[in-house]
Amino acid sequence: MTAQKSTHGSGNALDVVGDVPVRLEEVIDREALVEMCRSMQSLFGIGVRVYSADGALLANVASDLDICGLVNDSSQGRVACGATVSAAKSVDPGDDGDVVHACFTGLAYRIVSLDYEGRRIGRIVLGPYAPAGLREPPETLARTVPKLDVIQSTTRLSAVARVKPEALGRIAHHLKTTLELIIFSSHKAYVTSKLHLYSVRESYRALEEKTQRLEQAHSKLKELDRLKSDFLGTVSHELRTPLTSIIGYSEMLAEGIAGPLSKEQADFVGTIHGKGEQLLGLIMGLLDLSKLDSGTMSLRQASMQIAPTLQEVISTVAPVAKKKGVELVLDDDGVACELAADAERLRQVFVNLADNAVKFTPKGGTVTIRARVADGGASDDDDEGGAVLLAPVRRVVVVTVSDTGIGIPSAERNKVFDAFYQVDSSSTREYGGTGLGLSIVKRIVEAHGGTVVISANEPGGTVFTVTLPSAQARRTLPSRLPPADRT
Amino acid sequence: MQLNFAAREVAIKLVYYGPALSGKTTNLKALHQLVQEKSRGRLMTLETKDDRTLFFDMLPLVFKADSEHGSMNLRVKVFTVPGQVVHASTRRLVLQGADGIVFVADSQLAETENNAASFLDLRANLKELGRSISQVPLVIQFNKRDLPNIRTDVEIDELAQRGKEPVMKACAVTGEGVLESFFGLLDRTWKRLDEEHDLKDKLGLRPEAFLAMAAASLGHAGQATALASAFIGGARMPGTPPSGGTVR
Ligand SMILES: Nc1ncnc2c1ncn2[C@@H]1O[C@H](COP(=O)(O)OP(=O)(O)OP(=O)(O)O)[C@@H](O)[C@H]1O
Ligand SMILES: Nc1nc2c(ncn2[C@@H]2O[C@H](COP(=O)(O)OP(=O)(O)O)[C@@H](O)[C@H]2O)c(=O)[nH]1
Ligand SMILES: [Mg+2]
Repeated sequence: MTAQKSTHGSGNALDVVGDVPVRLEEVIDREALVEMCRSMQSLFGIGVRVYSADGALLANVASDLDICGLVNDSSQGRVACGATVSAAKSVDPGDDGDVVHACFTGLAYRIVSLDYEGRRIGRIVLGPYAPAGLREPPETLARTVPKLDVIQSTTRLSAVARVKPEALGRIAHHLKTTLELIIFSSHKAYVTSKLHLYSVRESYRALEEKTQRLEQAHSKLKELDRLKSDFLGTVSHELRTPLTSIIGYSEMLAEGIAGPLSKEQADFVGTIHGKGEQLLGLIMGLLDLSKLDSGTMSLRQASMQIAPTLQEVISTVAPVAKKKGVELVLDDDGVACELAADAERLRQVFVNLADNAVKFTPKGGTVTIRARVADGGASDDDDEGGAVLLAPVRRVVVVTVSDTGIGIPSAERNKVFDAFYQVDSSSTREYGGTGLGLSIVKRIVEAHGGTVVISANEPGGTVFTVTLPSAQARRTLPSRLPPADRT
Repeated sequence: MQLNFAAREVAIKLVYYGPALSGKTTNLKALHQLVQEKSRGRLMTLETKDDRTLFFDMLPLVFKADSEHGSMNLRVKVFTVPGQVVHASTRRLVLQGADGIVFVADSQLAETENNAASFLDLRANLKELGRSISQVPLVIQFNKRDLPNIRTDVEIDELAQRGKEPVMKACAVTGEGVLESFFGLLDRTWKRLDEEHDLKDKLGLRPEAFLAMAAASLGHAGQATALASAFIGGARMPGTPPSGGTVR
């Protein structure tokens, strides 16, 4: 059982689904109430007062009757008048909520209660008015205010319009009904707004909770991801150390440092050495990948030009290309555009691309590395204008690595960037490799704010297009690109 | 329940619960029509423009009862909850402090699942409010008996005998079964409150007298028992008469 607790005006939504008494002063606009009472008064010539349940006067539109003026001129009259009015404020209107309260002048007040949801929440006091049967001043008048001029009071009293009780009853009833309707409408509006607020708050709370849960899940995932990268990093490192020894010792064996080897022994040692190198490549790749994933690969971004890097790439790949009979062409057209990038990582990118190109191009084919500077072209925020100002700072360096080899079917072009993905597992046999190269390429390029896409070469083969934003673009458009740390 | 000794006032809260469009608002409108004007307040409906209950509907009923200790004011506020799923938090809000619940089910076969889901929702919401459904007086109303493709009388009767809640059949649009559901719940609610709070002694008002007076005040003098016992099943509630007739 809950004790009845009054929580008026406390913005608690529970109030509106409970049984908290409605207060007249809270659901009604005072000025509007006064205005309405005034119009009633001018229509019927009878004063109107409205009180709340606890006796507060909410509207007071009096009709200045001459007789009242006369009575109030005397001090006894004033006191008696005040007593009558305050009695009208508290007299019990009975079960019917409708009672007549007499004034000593012979005039009277009609009091009707204002009810809402079965509770008395206020009252209307109509008057003073002259009851229909009133002829001459009653003796109570002379008794209460003995000094009053009898002739004057009689004329003034007879000047007050007589009101039949039924007529007054209708007026009172009309006013009561109107006010109760207004109270109902205001209360309904009040309840609705309370619930609107409540449901907005509830939705907000639900969203907050959901966000919090998502945030927790997200940070948990991030933590797991970090653990995975840490694990990979550690394992790769631990594998690399003994592997370096295996490679080193097999190399020394092959060189005959420990004595001459037979043909067969030399073959075996050669295989050990080769596979060791392959394994080391794989481990290094995994290590890079895990560093790129965990964001721990620090790009040493410095001001650089692309041409010297591409030169190095050519000299790295040239021996393999030559052995395979694939022509290697560099076309950098003296490209000059400042990049803010890690030269070593970019070298890795283009070595990988050139290496793949040579690997997947048969004898007699050509692999071309071509570099150009271009305007950044259209961008998402072109709608907002300012292209004239923005285009110059959006300059990019575009490097394409194209070959005349076996090509990549368009359906495969996105997948090859996934770690360990190879177009055709049977090609693994033929071409070797692990499928890590391109995933590393993509991550490095993106870490520089660039993109890499694949298209077909004409008449056959593949084109990898790497687009790198200029140092200026990365400085001025930082929101769309990862910023270059300016060291 | 709110018990105010000083004002000699008892306030009870009844809630009509159920899936969207099962006829809760229609029940309240019918109830409003079926009770005497002097004992009812205005029916407050908070509807959207497509007639669906936005937040809730509320009908206040107020009457006097003479007890051995003098006259009492009895206030019964009847609420409906919004049935739509999106208003879950409002449903829980309205449910707070409910002394009794009418579950308005839609008799149409196609609504079977919605009825069950809404009932589970009621159970979960009560639980969230720290109450158990077995502790709250509850009657189940199968509404829309006038429509085709509904659960049959035989089926409902048979299931009702197995369940522990009293079951009423109704057609809220014509008002059939509306008073029966209301008085059936009012009766059980008062009896439960009487057990918990010893109202007999505190107020000098026996449950039978309360019900008779409520019926008289609402314009149905002498019909209290007949109205309150027009249900099937629900035999496990102590102190209730054995099942009476069905509505149809
Ligand atoms: N220039 C190319 N022409 C045709 N296919 C290519 C070319 N470059 C890459 N691919 C395809 O994409 C796959 C993935 O390439 P990626 O560089 O990631 O791995 P890989 O070359 O197989 O092995 P790794 O580079 O790790 O030694 C290749 O296996 C091949 O199927
Ligand atoms: N045929 C029929 N229709 C009903 C009955 N009760 C309610 N309805 C209709 O069902 C619809 C939804 O009723 P309403 O009371 O607004 O449902 P609420 O969402 O539960 O409040 C309205 O169109 C009603 O007219 C009934 O007993 N029979
Ligand atoms: Mg590769």
